[in-house]
Amino acid sequence: MDFDSYALDADIYDEMFLPDGRPREHCRELYEALKRLSPGELGSIQERVTRSFSNEGITFTVYGDDEADERIIPIDCVPRVLSGAEWRLLESGLIQRLTALNRFLEDIYGEARIITEGVIPVEVVRECPQYRVEMRGFSAPQGVWVAICGTDLVRTNDGFQVLEDNLRVPSGVSYMIANRKAVKTRMRRLYRSSRVRDVEHYGRVLLATLRDLAPTGQSDPGIALLTPGVYNSAFYEHMFLAREIGAELVEGRDLLVDDGFVYMRTTTGLRRVDVIYRRVDDDFLDPLVFRSDSLLGVPGLLHAYKRGNVSLVNAPGTGVADDKSVYAYVPDMIRYYLSEEPLLANVETYLCRRPEDLEYTLDNLESLVVKRVGESGGYGMLVGPHATPEEREAYAAQVRANPADFVSQPVLALSRAPCLIEGRFEPRHVDLRPFVLYGREPRLVPGAFCRVALRRGSLVVNSSQGGGGKDLWVLED
Amino acid sequence: MLSRSAQGLYWMGRYLERAEHLCRLLQLQTEALVDRPIREIHFGWSRVYNSVNRQPPMGDLDPLGGEDYTLADSYTLADDLTFERSNPDSVWSCFALGRENARQMRHCISAEMWTRLNLAYLRIQKLGIQDIWSASPESFYAETAAEIDTFMGVASATMYRDTGWRFLQLGRFVERAQRAVALFLAQIAADRLTEEYSEADWTSLLRAYHAFEAYDRRYSVAVEPGQVLDLLVTDPLLPYSLRRSLDMVAAEIAVIHASPNAQTSDAVHQLASRLVSLVHSDWPVREDRGDLLQQMSADCWELHVLVTATYFDYPIADFPAR
Repeated sequence: MDFDSYALDADIYDEMFLPDGRPREHCRELYEALKRLSPGELGSIQERVTRSFSNEGITFTVYGDDEADERIIPIDCVPRVLSGAEWRLLESGLIQRLTALNRFLEDIYGEARIITEGVIPVEVVRECPQYRVEMRGFSAPQGVWVAICGTDLVRTNDGFQVLEDNLRVPSGVSYMIANRKAVKTRMRRLYRSSRVRDVEHYGRVLLATLRDLAPTGQSDPGIALLTPGVYNSAFYEHMFLAREIGAELVEGRDLLVDDGFVYMRTTTGLRRVDVIYRRVDDDFLDPLVFRSDSLLGVPGLLHAYKRGNVSLVNAPGTGVADDKSVYAYVPDMIRYYLSEEPLLANVETYLCRRPEDLEYTLDNLESLVVKRVGESGGYGMLVGPHATPEEREAYAAQVRANPADFVSQPVLALSRAPCLIEGRFEPRHVDLRPFVLYGREPRLVPGAFCRVALRRGSLVVNSSQGGGGKDLWVLED
Repeated sequence: MLSRSAQGLYWMGRYLERAEHLCRLLQLQTEALVDRPIREIHFGWSRVYNSVNRQPPMGDLDPLGGEDYTLADSYTLADDLTFERSNPDSVWSCFALGRENARQMRHCISAEMWTRLNLAYLRIQKLGIQDIWSASPESFYAETAAEIDTFMGVASATMYRDTGWRFLQLGRFVERAQRAVALFLAQIAADRLTEEYSEADWTSLLRAYHAFEAYDRRYSVAVEPGQVLDLLVTDPLLPYSLRRSLDMVAAEIAVIHASPNAQTSDAVHQLASRLVSLVHSDWPVREDRGDLLQQMSADCWELHVLVTATYFDYPIADFPAR
C-alpha cells in the first residue's frame, strides 16, 4: 500500500517520516514492509488484530443507562517505532524523574525542606486535595512511595515532553502487552527481522519489584492485588496482572485486619498478606481513615501499613506529586534533590493561582488547553482552539471564580503516526505511556502503551473519549 | 485459595452444567417436534418445567390443546427456557452467568479455557429464538451442549489441578446430581398422574443421559421404567449416572483441604458419604424409589448449603487468624 495521499505538516512531528517525506532511518524496514502489503492484506491483518481482542475478551466496561457494556479499545495494526537511542533517553529521563518524585514525597511528608527552602510555595502543596495529612511524619519503606508509575509523554518538534506523571493507580500496561501479542503474530516476519525488544516479561519485573518491597524478613511474601471489583473499567487489567504475577485478586471484602496484620479469607482459613498491589484509590482504601462510606476498602489497612506489617503499592498520599499544579515544579525538584538538569522537559504550564499566569490564561484562551487540577482522564478540560466563543466564556467564568483549581498549557502539536483508516494511511496524533517500576532499583520494560486519537484532527487520546491504541516497538541497536 | 475465587469456580461449574443439561433436554424436545405424537411432546414439556420447578409463561400446559396449538406453544416454551433473559435458569442466563464467573476468575483458570468459553458466548450472546427456530433448533442445542463439553475437555486438558479445579468439579457434579434427581422425580410424578407409562417417555429419558445404547446392552429392547432408573442411578460405567456424579462429589470433597470450620467440615464429609451409600447400598434394596429420590434431593441441597458455609462464607469471628 502506498503513502501517496499521506499528508505531512511541517509544524507537526511525524513518527515515521522526515519533513522531506523520506522515512526515518529506524522506520525504514516497517515502511518498506507496509508498502509491499496490498490493501487487502493489510485490511485482513487489521481485521484479525481487532477480532483477537474481542475473542480474548480484552475489554473495558462502559456504563450506560441500564446495562454495562464490554467494549474493546480500538487498536490500529500499524506499529509505532522508536530507535534504541530514543528509548535510552526516555529511560534515563523517566528514572531521573521518578527518583526525584519519590524524594519529594519522602520530604513533603517529613521535614518539607523543599518548602522551607523556598523551592515550592507552601500553598501549592497545602491546598492540594491529594495531600494526605494522615501520612505526615511517615517514612515509606526504602523511601519508595511510588513503585509503579505510568508517565504520559508526547513528542513535538522540540522533542519529548512529559505531559503527566501518573503516580497513583496508573493503568494501561495490560494493553501494552495485549497490543504486542495481537500485532506480532500477524506481522511475523517483519517482527522477527525488525529486532524489537520484548515487553512481555513485564509481569516478572513487576513481581520482582513487589517482592523487593515486602516487609523486612518476608522471604516468600503473600502478594495480593486489590481491585475495586468487576465493575471497575480496568478490571481486565487487574485480572491480567494478578495472573501474570501469580497473586490472588482480592476485593476489600476478602481482607481483614487483625491485630495490625492483614489477612485474606481462603478456603482453608485466614492467610497473611504481606504485599498489596492496590488498584483502589486512596479515598476508598480504609474507611476508618479516608472516606468512611467506602465499601471497597479494608478497615484498619492504613494502621497495618504504618506499622510496617504490610506493604501498600503505591503508598497512600502519592497523588500530591502528580497534581497538575505540583507538576509545574518537577524540573525544580530534579535540580533540588538530584543536582541534575532534567533530561525530559515539562510542558510549559501556567498556574492560574499566580495572578500573572491567570491573566495570561484568560487573555489567550483560544490558544491554550485549560485543565482542572483535580481531574484526569481528559474530563473537565477546555481545548481553546476547538471551543466556541460561548464555551470559552463560560469556562473563563469558572476559572475566575476559583483560579487555584486551574492550570493552562499551550496546545501542543502532538506528533502523528500513520494509522490504517478506512483502507488508507492517515496521520493521527499519538502519545505514549511507559511504565517505570521502582523497588530496590528502578526497572523498565522497553515499551509503552501508545495511545492514538483516532478521530481526525482530535488531540484527545483517552480511551474514554474515543482514543485507541497502537503497538510500540523499541528496536535493538 | 481465596474463598471468593473458589466460590466463583464452583458456580461456574454449576451454571455450565445446568446449561448443558437443559440443552440436552431441549434437543430431545425439539427433535420430537418433527415426528412424535402430541401427547409425547406435551409430556416432555411438563417434565422439563417440573424438573426446573418453573411455571410455563402461559400458565399450566393444556393437555387437551390441539395439534397446531401445541406446536405453536413449543416456540414460546423453548424461548422461555432458552433465551429468556429474565429466567435465571434459561440456557442463555446460565451460559452468561457461567461465563461471567469465568471472566471474574480468569486468573484462576487456563487461558485456553477462557478463550473457548468466550468464543462460545460471543456466538450465542446475540441470538434469539427466531434465529434458531426455522432452520434446526435441535442443532443449536446440540452445538451448545457440545461447546460446554469441549470447554470441560479443554479444562481437563489444561487446568492446573489446584483447589480451584476441585471446586469447579465439585460444582459441576453437585449440579449434575441435583438435575438428575429432579428430572427422575418429575418423570415419576408425571407417570403417577396419568397412572400409566409410555415407553417413549422413558426412552427419551435414556437419551437425555446418552444411555440408550447402554440400556440395550444391559437389559433388552423392552424399555421398563424400573430398569431405566436402575441404569441411570447405579450404573458404574455410564458417565452421567447418579452414582458416578455422587462418587465424584465425594472424591472431590475428600481431597479438598480442611476448612477452619471443623464442625461443618465434618458434616460435609458425612453427608457426601451418606449420598454415596444411598446409591450404592440403599437403592438396590429399597422399593420406594420416589421417597429415596426425595431424600437425595434434600441431601443434595443440604450439601450445597454446607459447602457454602464451610469454604466460602464461614464466620470469621469464630476462627481467628493464625
